[in-house]
Amino acid sequence: MHPIYRLLDPFLIWFYRLTGHTLADFLIGTLVLAFLALIIGEVTISLAFLVTKKRIDQVTAEADRYQNLSMEALKAGDKQAYKAANKLANDAFGKSFFMQIALSAAFLWPVFFALIWMEYRFSGLEFPLPFTNYSLGYVGVFILLYAASYLLFKRVKYKLPYFRRIKAILDTCTNQKFHQSLKLRETNNGT
Amino acid sequence: MRKKSLLIIGLLATLAVVATLVLALPADAGKLEEAIAKTPQGVGKGMIDPSAPKGFMGIPGAPKSFFLFYILWGAWVGWIFSSVGAFGGIMAGVGHITVFGLADYGRTFKDTNPTLNKLLTDSIRVCNQYLVALSALISSVTYYRMGRLVLPLGLCLAGGGIAGAYLIPVLTAGKITLRAYIGYFGLVVFAVAYVLFYETTAKGQEKRKAARAASKAFEEAHIKKKAAPAEAAKPAAVASGVRVTHWGLTKIAFTFYGVEFSFNPLWPVLGGFVIAAISAFIGVGGGFLYVPFLTSVAGLPMFIVAGTSALAVLVSMITSIFTFMFVKSVPVDFILIGTELVGIAIGSVLGPMTSKYIPEVWLKRLFVVLAVYVGIGYVTKGFLGYSVMPGM
Repeated sequence: MHPIYRLLDPFLIWFYRLTGHTLADFLIGTLVLAFLALIIGEVTISLAFLVTKKRIDQVTAEADRYQNLSMEALKAGDKQAYKAANKLANDAFGKSFFMQIALSAAFLWPVFFALIWMEYRFSGLEFPLPFTNYSLGYVGVFILLYAASYLLFKRVKYKLPYFRRIKAILDTCTNQKFHQSLKLRETNNGT
Repeated sequence: MRKKSLLIIGLLATLAVVATLVLALPADAGKLEEAIAKTPQGVGKGMIDPSAPKGFMGIPGAPKSFFLFYILWGAWVGWIFSSVGAFGGIMAGVGHITVFGLADYGRTFKDTNPTLNKLLTDSIRVCNQYLVALSALISSVTYYRMGRLVLPLGLCLAGGGIAGAYLIPVLTAGKITLRAYIGYFGLVVFAVAYVLFYETTAKGQEKRKAARAASKAFEEAHIKKKAAPAEAAKPAAVASGVRVTHWGLTKIAFTFYGVEFSFNPLWPVLGGFVIAAISAFIGVGGGFLYVPFLTSVAGLPMFIVAGTSALAVLVSMITSIFTFMFVKSVPVDFILIGTELVGIAIGSVLGPMTSKYIPEVWLKRLFVVLAVYVGIGYVTKGFLGYSVMPGM
């Protein structure tokens, strides 16, 4: 076991010894681990978002702009403008998409470190599926509980002060840009 | 419409999962241990020294780089993703194959234990594929949020995608030598190099300039004159404008904003199959390729294509996850992937910071040079047995 995991092991394994009932303990311990991985991921991605928000907004705004333009061109029956705007929307969307892939790493990295520890501890564990030759290992249980944690956490996320504060900062940046662009349109329209 | 879409997605996903569980062979969790046990022991080429420190996949004596190198390489990949885009996946593959020495290590077992050679090939493919999985996850979330769906198109894509994502691993897992895999990877790198190169040429840039000019002209003529600020700030209408008017084996038609679009269902089925097959075989590509395929080949509006692709991507992602969870045919090195993800996250933050100082066209030119170098190196290594490029 890696020295860092040897340090963390007593704390993590404590959650797997709460009730004395093997299956329940495994599920509780894995659920706690999944939650920890989720929270750490949420914190790191929120920090990454704060740093990159301006660029994300730029590429997203470009994709939205050309997408809406292509629809207006479609409604107006202008095929050339539609093709042009559609192509640019495609390019802008691609940029935005790859940025999101890179940023998603900031959310998901703790999952793999959790799985590394579980591999040390539970690599031989299998839960046979009834009436089949298949079984669910520690990875499968972790994925299911991580998904459940994500859905649960979504409901309470913005009740936590840290995430509420981050949301307020991100919303403020978005609103500032929105009002700036609104002001620009007013100036252009001479109103 | 949304409830109907959810029901169909659920049915397709269930079908895909059942097919995976029924048709795929259950994996032997000790496949890697078995392969290691059958390898001759010793310190020579193609041998395993049981007393050596464990490296890649926990194999004694396998390459193991200092964790910081994984993070640094991941940062390079993340930087590319957030600066230019597509080439990041290729670089992740180059890291696994060449930089960390995994391919050369795997090749040593070609004669002493071909099973281990092929198992290592599959492991390297899976390491490449986690980025495809990320792409699929992002596609599903992002596209589905857009909520604009052309159901028959989504079904065709999903059908082709499932077939490709399922057939390729079943047909190739344990059968592809590392050398062959490197050769095919090199071919894909050449294809990416061509696309990047075209975008940097005068013709490629002229097309983009013309598209911008046409869009700007239309915008000035139609939008700015008629739209009040409040109207202009409203988001565009959602997919209630999509109406399927004709279902057929050779033609499916729908209207959107009064304009009729039609497509031959064979194209999205084939396209879905090919894209999923490439993703499954090579470990690059994935959900993001559906959108340019449908907008370029079928000429469909990105407005609805992006949302429709979610159906195909979501279903194939569920299939892959279930395959990974229950079939478990290939072991995965979590340490390698976890540390790379840390690096990718760092790179994703650096990319936007540096993009204002480096023009995109020069970045693309740099990557074209890299891609040609890597492509030639891998194609020659794969199909000739040796690389003509140093270091590959």
